[in-house]
Amino acid sequence: MKHWHWGLLISIPAVAGATLAVAFWRGWLPNAIFYLRADLGTAFGLLGLLFVVGLGIEWGRWYRRESNRRAIASKVKAEATSERHEFLGRLDHELKNPLMAMRAGLANLAGTTLESPQQEIINSIETQTLRLSRLLTDLRKLAELEIRPIDCAPVDISELLQEVATVAEERPDADSRHIALTLPQAPWPLPMVSGDRDLLFLLFHNLVDNAMKFTQPGHTIELRAFEDGSKVVVEVADTGPGIPDVEVPLVWEELYRGENARGVPGSGIGLALVRAIVERHNGEVFLRSRVGKGTVFTIRLSTAQK
Amino acid sequence: MVGQDVSPHILLVDDEAAITTNLAPFLERAGFVISVAGDGTQALQQISRSKPDLVVLDVLMPKMDGRQVLRHLRQAGDWTPIILLTQVGEASERAMALEEGADDYINKPFDPRELVARIRSVLRRARPGQPPLAAVWRLVSGKLTFDRRAHRVILNDKELALTPKAVDLLEYLMTHPDELISRERLLETVWGWDYPVGTRSVDTRIAELRRALKDDVTTPTYIETVAGEGYRFAGKVEGQA
Repeated sequence: MKHWHWGLLISIPAVAGATLAVAFWRGWLPNAIFYLRADLGTAFGLLGLLFVVGLGIEWGRWYRRESNRRAIASKVKAEATSERHEFLGRLDHELKNPLMAMRAGLANLAGTTLESPQQEIINSIETQTLRLSRLLTDLRKLAELEIRPIDCAPVDISELLQEVATVAEERPDADSRHIALTLPQAPWPLPMVSGDRDLLFLLFHNLVDNAMKFTQPGHTIELRAFEDGSKVVVEVADTGPGIPDVEVPLVWEELYRGENARGVPGSGIGLALVRAIVERHNGEVFLRSRVGKGTVFTIRLSTAQK
Repeated sequence: MVGQDVSPHILLVDDEAAITTNLAPFLERAGFVISVAGDGTQALQQISRSKPDLVVLDVLMPKMDGRQVLRHLRQAGDWTPIILLTQVGEASERAMALEEGADDYINKPFDPRELVARIRSVLRRARPGQPPLAAVWRLVSGKLTFDRRAHRVILNDKELALTPKAVDLLEYLMTHPDELISRERLLETVWGWDYPVGTRSVDTRIAELRRALKDDVTTPTYIETVAGEGYRFAGKVEGQA
């Protein structure tokens, strides 16, 4: 609505008022007070109505803009996701055949008689080939996570975290790293969370696995959980080297390896998977870190509706 | 006397020569007679000419892909056992492999020794001239029926409430009866992922199936645990079209 439209509308009660005022002054009206009150009532009523109509129009325009913006954003995101998915699919396809040929070749070599130094070389090539295969699978997992439907069901998070801790401590390279698991029991244990058990397992396994990798033997990793309103909050805390501030936003990206992470085995996919799983569960994940002290990862997941 | 049927004849179909030239001698050493085809059209010609005992078929090939070859054969009533070489992790492709009548599938890149094990078990299971269990719509074992079209499990005329993963797992076990299947293989084929500690997820789903099937761990009717190795579907499975 243009400004002069507003002026015109507002002038209606003004003109009406002026006409009545003139009539009142000239004594054309039998009961002046009655007309004055009626006129003031009409003027305020009209102004109020105009105000409401104006508000409605403004809100409508804002709503249209906002929903447009949202539609575009989600379209851009969907396009980016499908492009990435396509790219990973192509990468997967182009890498799997050479890898397959390498593995077949290595299996073929194993059947021939080899001198022992040659055998060592072959073994090392085989190890690296397997590593490449795993990286490929991880990339595929990440791509699939963005599109595959997730099986949402109530998950007993206490039991799941217990299992994650047991699995981590059973690792052959766990040495004397210990996991201290703290789960509330009083006045009641943790509620169920809603999610895909396998994915949630992978999520916490990755976080604890990371914590183990960056913690010195003999140190303790804390895995703790508590209830917060309609959420369950899980924290994984380590006493590792910590993540410098500048790297904090980057660690979630695939194939990113921080300065303190060099020389530590890993594919650079672990945290990207964590983020993807949390997003698929409409949860939240963030981290606090101090260089030289350690890192805490915090995950918030919705509890299952009863 | 060395009869021809002592060494099974395997046709290896893949457009990537680097794979077939390395895989063929490996499979020969494992005791098979190998011939090779470089694409789908060639594969069909060789199958009708030399009647191999089993075909290892790559899915992604130029001209005629593995899926079309498989469909062509099954529609013509040819039930030569087929192992498909599928793409890593594509769930839709796994479902397709079984629905179109493949006997088994294995994700590239795989361990060649695993392929040998699969070839042996498919050959052992094969029922000459008949569709494999993987291609039938109803699997029946005693009081247990698996309706694959509706993806429903019925025990004693009652439908069981199972998680989708447990249903998929039971389907794989029932299409591979009396075969020892490792946790890793179940993870790879049913979950499509091979994450290192995920084998526990398999155990969790097996436990769910056992509870639902009221199967006793010590004297199982359906799912047997082979300590330290994996699981085996112990019941006899009949296929109904």
